[in-house]
Amino acid sequence: MNSLMIKTLGFAALLILATIFVVTKLNIDIFADSVNALTIAGAIAVATITSAVAAKYINQMKTDTTSGKLAEENWDGIGEYENELPSGWAYTFLAVFMWSMWYGLAGYPIWAYSQIGEYNEEVLAYNAKFEETHKNASEETLKEMGESIFLVQCQQCHGATGDGLSGRAQDLTKHYSKEEVLNIIKNGQNALGAFPGGMPAGMASGADAEAIAAYVAGGFKGEKPAAFAACASCHGADGKGTPMVAPSIHGYDIHNVVSKGKKGKIGRMPAFGSMITPVQEKALTAYVQSLAK
Amino acid sequence: MFHWLEKNPFFFASAISIVISFAGLIEIVPNFSKAARPLVDLKPRTVLELAGKEVYKKDNCIACHSQLIRPFKSETDRYGKYSLSGEYAYDRPFLWGSKRTGPDLHRVGNYRTTDWHEAHMKNPSKIVPGSIMPAYKHQFTNVADIETAYAEAVTVRNVFHTPYGPEFKSGKAAWEAHKPKVLADAKKIADEMQDEGVKKMVAEGKVPEIVALIAYLNSLK
Repeated sequence: MNSLMIKTLGFAALLILATIFVVTKLNIDIFADSVNALTIAGAIAVATITSAVAAKYINQMKTDTTSGKLAEENWDGIGEYENELPSGWAYTFLAVFMWSMWYGLAGYPIWAYSQIGEYNEEVLAYNAKFEETHKNASEETLKEMGESIFLVQCQQCHGATGDGLSGRAQDLTKHYSKEEVLNIIKNGQNALGAFPGGMPAGMASGADAEAIAAYVAGGFKGEKPAAFAACASCHGADGKGTPMVAPSIHGYDIHNVVSKGKKGKIGRMPAFGSMITPVQEKALTAYVQSLAK
Repeated sequence: MFHWLEKNPFFFASAISIVISFAGLIEIVPNFSKAARPLVDLKPRTVLELAGKEVYKKDNCIACHSQLIRPFKSETDRYGKYSLSGEYAYDRPFLWGSKRTGPDLHRVGNYRTTDWHEAHMKNPSKIVPGSIMPAYKHQFTNVADIETAYAEAVTVRNVFHTPYGPEFKSGKAAWEAHKPKVLADAKKIADEMQDEGVKKMVAEGKVPEIVALIAYLNSLK
C-alpha cells in the first residue's frame, strides 16, 4: 500500500463523513426512508469513484513515459504523435457522413417540415371533426354557435344585441317593418343581385299592397290576403322562397347577404363567404332569425 | 494524411466555415429568395393608397395593429387567409408590426367598408362597444401629402423597378398629369362617405388624410 492509495482512501472517507455530518445536522434520518438511504449510497459511490479516478490519473502522471513517433510540426515546442484515429471516432465520423448524405439529398428536400403543411393538416382535421360533431346539431347548439360567430364577425356593425347601432346597419331584432315592405313592393328589390332580374317594381298597389305589407310584416299571421298570390308566384305560397327564383321572406335569409355582401341605403356590407363554413352559416341563420321576434 | 491542414490554420478555419455554411446556404437561400418575390397578380399601391400608408405610419397604427396573419386556424378563422411574404414585396417598409392591442389589419379590406371606417375613425367606441381605440378626428381635416406619395412611387420605380407604368416620371409636368387620377380615386372614396367637410375638400382638389387612409385600408386584402 503506497502513500497515494492511503491519501485517496482518506480523501474519500473525508467526503463521505462530511456528507453524513451535514445530513445529520439537517435532522434527516437516513434509514427512515428508502429514498434517503439510496441517496446516501449514491453519495458514497460518487465520492469513492471520484477519488479512485483521480488516483488513477495522478498515478499515471507520476509513472507514465512517452512513446510513439512525433509528427513533424509543433507549436512552440508542443508536438503530437502520429497515432491512428481511434476506431470509435472513425466509425462515428462515417455514420455522420452517411446520414448527412441521406439528409442533404433526400431527407431535407423530400420530407422537410412545412409550417403551411402542418396548418393544412390541422385545418382539415379540425373541419372534418367539426362537420362530424355538428352534423345533427340541435337548434340550441346552432344558436349558441351562431351567437359566438355573430360576436366575432357581425357585432362591429350590427351591434352586440343585433340592433344595428342606431342606423349603422340593419336592425336585426326586427324583421321588415310595414313601411319597408311597402317600399319594396313599390320600388322592386334587387340589392343582392343574387336572383336573375330581381323583383320588379309595382307588383301590387293601393289597398292590396297595404294588406300584403301588414301580412308579411306581421309575421304571416292571420288570414292570407288574396293579393298575396302576386307574391306567391315567386316567393312560394308560404313565402319560403323558390330556389334560383326568389329568396324566403320569412325572417332573414342570410345566405346571399353573407356570401356576397350587400350595398343598401345604409352603406356597403362586405362579403364573408370565405370566412364562414356551411355549418357556421346555418348556425348564424338560426341565431339571426332568433333575434327577430 | 491531413497534417498539411493543421499546418495552415487560417486556410483550415476558412474551409470549415465554408463547409458548415454550405448546408445553411442550400437550405435557406433558395426558399428565401423564392418567397420574397412578388405574387403573380400583385399590383403596387396607387398614389392615393401610398399617401394613406404614410398616414398609417404617421398616426402610428402599427403600435397597436399588426399586418401579418400567421398560419394558425384561430387566426385564419378571424382574419382570413394567412399572409405570404410575396404580398409585401412592394411594401417599403412592410408594416408587419408585433403588437396586437387591436386586431390584425392585413386583410381588413375584405371585411370592412369605407363608411364603416369613416364612422369608426370618428368615434371607435360607438361602433365597437368597449373599444379603447382613440378617435382620429384630425384625419378629417388634415390634408394628405399626395405629392410626396407620387414622388415615392417614382423613386421606388427608378430604384427598385417596382412596376409602376412608364408615365411615372419625375418632374412637375408628370405629376400634374397624374394628379387628376389621384383626385378621381379620392372622389370615389368620398362619394361613399357621409362627412360633408370631406366631400367639400375633395371637390376643392384637396385630399383629407381620412380618404387616403381608407383607400389604403380598403387595399389591404
